[in-house]
Amino acid sequence: MNSKMKRTIIAWLLLAPLVAVTIFPFAVMFLTAVKPRTEVLTPTWWPSEFRWSNFADMWVATGFGQALLNSLYVSALATIGAILISVPAAYAMSRFRFGGYGAFRQFLLISQMISPIVLVLGLFRLMAAWGLVESTTALGFIYMAFNVAFTVWMLQSYFDTIPRDLEEAAWMEGAGRWLTLRKVFLPLCLPAIAVTAIFTFINAWNEFVVALTMLRSQESYTLPIQVFSLVAGRYTIEWHHVMAATLLATLPVAILFIWLQRYLVRGLALRAVK
Amino acid sequence: MRGGAWKEFETERLARQMRIGTPLEASQRDTNQPMQNRFLPYLLTLPSLFLAAVVIFWPVWDLIQISTHDVNRFGQLREFSGLANFAALAADPDFVAALWRTALWTVLVVGGALLLSIPVAIILNTDFYGRGLARVIIMLPWAVSLTMTAVVWRWALNGESGMLNSALMKLGLISQNIQWLASAETAFPMQVLIGILVTVPFTTTIFLGGLSSIPDDLYEAAALEGATPLQQFREITFPLLKPFINIAIVLNTIYVFNSFPIIWVMTQGGPANSTDILVTHLYKLAFRIGKLGEASAVSLVMFAILLVFTMIYVRLAMREQRA
Repeated sequence: MNSKMKRTIIAWLLLAPLVAVTIFPFAVMFLTAVKPRTEVLTPTWWPSEFRWSNFADMWVATGFGQALLNSLYVSALATIGAILISVPAAYAMSRFRFGGYGAFRQFLLISQMISPIVLVLGLFRLMAAWGLVESTTALGFIYMAFNVAFTVWMLQSYFDTIPRDLEEAAWMEGAGRWLTLRKVFLPLCLPAIAVTAIFTFINAWNEFVVALTMLRSQESYTLPIQVFSLVAGRYTIEWHHVMAATLLATLPVAILFIWLQRYLVRGLALRAVK
Repeated sequence: MRGGAWKEFETERLARQMRIGTPLEASQRDTNQPMQNRFLPYLLTLPSLFLAAVVIFWPVWDLIQISTHDVNRFGQLREFSGLANFAALAADPDFVAALWRTALWTVLVVGGALLLSIPVAIILNTDFYGRGLARVIIMLPWAVSLTMTAVVWRWALNGESGMLNSALMKLGLISQNIQWLASAETAFPMQVLIGILVTVPFTTTIFLGGLSSIPDDLYEAAALEGATPLQQFREITFPLLKPFINIAIVLNTIYVFNSFPIIWVMTQGGPANSTDILVTHLYKLAFRIGKLGEASAVSLVMFAILLVFTMIYVRLAMREQRA
């Protein structure tokens, strides 16, 4: 007991600098977001009063609602599409041996390693050729493609842990592959599918460079681009609005992420040793 | 009697099949539907292949085309120009500077995150009060998008009214405001530090996974033998953590090498291109200056470097699998 107390003090002392640096930007974000406008540019830490109405003002002044809708649409499209495409692929990789299996895995690995920034010029030309610049739907499809490797990987590593016995028992009872899949296999995988979907959603929600390139007018901006546009190339920046917007755009996703982070770790760990 | 024996044999066979359900066996059993089985896996993987081919391979092919042709700023290809665009790159001092800065950026961020994450993971792996809270705090930067992090830091580092200056002043560490982002001497180190900060959570997570696989009795035995904590680290923790360190290095190298938002949001590579790395240089070439040929050449150079990193990763991961 005593030694645990001692360990606690040492551990927190050692972690203190990192903890302070980690919390610092969150403190800056929160305190600036609730400062009255006149105090934002004075270098004080604590606001004289908490101006919660900043959030409502920001919502109107920055067109936050539209950007939020765009982000939700793009992320949902990317997530649903990626899952619909990946579940069959992951199922095939987990339950079949087929020629080209190894090549497909290598292909997934490589497409996982390529970040969109490397291809952004080619992507832009592809979209321009089809007249799809400004299209949030096209952006959703791009995110879908870049997330497929990740989702297939996460799902396959989970599918592999589900014992085959259950499906085989169902086959022997005379159920076909499709029925078995629907009644036995997929219900078991639902939690893994949900977690993978949420991570895909967060990835799409946070993406910056492709959105920055494809979306040229404010009506189609997603949240990261909208917040960036409040900062970039402006003569006067309303920092309390910017911080209120970052806080609102960040908080829900951050909570989801912290909550589910251990599943991601498990998936990554499985992948690392595969 | 005979019937009974047969039944026993049959149940035994079924039970065995249920226990050892290898994929091979599964496909053998379904030979009454050979068509379905031969083509089904391809059918199932086809949509993902198709999407990736359109969104990933088509742009790669396009980039190869542009980089080997003379191209105007509207993207119309003219005659084949061989490696002229690559030669132009090699002669461009901005590209060479960005290339070196990318190497520096990657080494500093990956190395810094590594040096910080090993002790942090070891601390978080010990049992102390508030460990859950400490883990959540350390993981926080991972939960926030890089864009938002960079926007907040851009404000915190503001020269006139930034809260870092006011905090340092109050602590008596500086006597006048520092214009953090106005020159590369202060901007780039700050970007590296922020890069390290956002890389620590992922790295720590990998190491925590590695540490949890080391059995406690190893340490108990070592302690009985009279090994000091430092010796325990050198002889037990470090060697067993090494495969995880390797994987963290390669994955982080890939992520950091590609990282765009921190530098773009905070300085856009400025002032005077002094904080440009390859990704920001590429973006400027493609969408600001309109030198599409050179921009595609940068893309392909980066693509090649990434392929090398990926191959190293595959090697390491395969060695890990065999071990």
